[in-house]
Amino acid sequence: MPTENISVIKLRDLLLVTVPPDPDDETISALQEQVLQAMVRHEAKGLVLDISTVQTLDSFFARTVAETVQMVALMGGRTVLAGMRANVAVTATQLGLTVGNALTALDVDRAFELLNTKPSKAPRL
Amino acid sequence: MNEPRQGEFRITSENDIVMARKVVRDAATALGFGLTDVTRIVTAASELTRNIYHYAQSGIMRWRTLNQAAKTGLELTFEDHGPGIPDIGKAMEMGFSTGKGLGMGLPGAKRLMDELTIQSTVGQGTTVVVRKWLKS
Repeated sequence: MPTENISVIKLRDLLLVTVPPDPDDETISALQEQVLQAMVRHEAKGLVLDISTVQTLDSFFARTVAETVQMVALMGGRTVLAGMRANVAVTATQLGLTVGNALTALDVDRAFELLNTKPSKAPRL
Repeated sequence: MNEPRQGEFRITSENDIVMARKVVRDAATALGFGLTDVTRIVTAASELTRNIYHYAQSGIMRWRTLNQAAKTGLELTFEDHGPGIPDIGKAMEMGFSTGKGLGMGLPGAKRLMDELTIQSTVGQGTTVVVRKWLKS
């Protein structure tokens, strides 16, 4: 089975990555690799992960996201998780999932605003 | 009244985790669960299907609708002939894993569903049954 398309867009010095609605494990792993490569290639200082269409956030997905956030942080970048749906947030919390040190925003717009503010002003989870 | 419905789905590859989610999503939605409950059920199914794939390599998921007295629900059964679970009590603890998992599958699925029962025999396999009831 081919993995679903992952879109990585560069906007100034930030990357916008759109996560497909129902990715398999292979796609999620590929996403992590693509993100890290793009961070280096574009010398990006931050990453916005748009998860607004994601329907299921299970433990594998959450762990990979948390890892990616950590890896991006080691490379000097900040990650914002944008657009988590209410039903996904409820489920992820009940399941006991955390997404590491990711910043969060209601939507992509606010995620970009957040990354353009000073780090000290950004709320952390 | 809802006609009782049921189906089954073989789990043999990693991609079947996604397919199992689709099967469960359709069944739960058709039964009338709201979006948040559908997400809970699908997420629990994702964890339990991944457990089968990682620990037993293959297995089967069965689903059926339940009509009991005034209650309607969805039952999912995950059956494999893998190594079995030596200590179910420990497997139900948050953060305990013998494999590469996060140790969230079983305890997480229990929290997301209304009922969870496990039967497991070392060397023979594991059957996990979960149920979610429609709120009337």
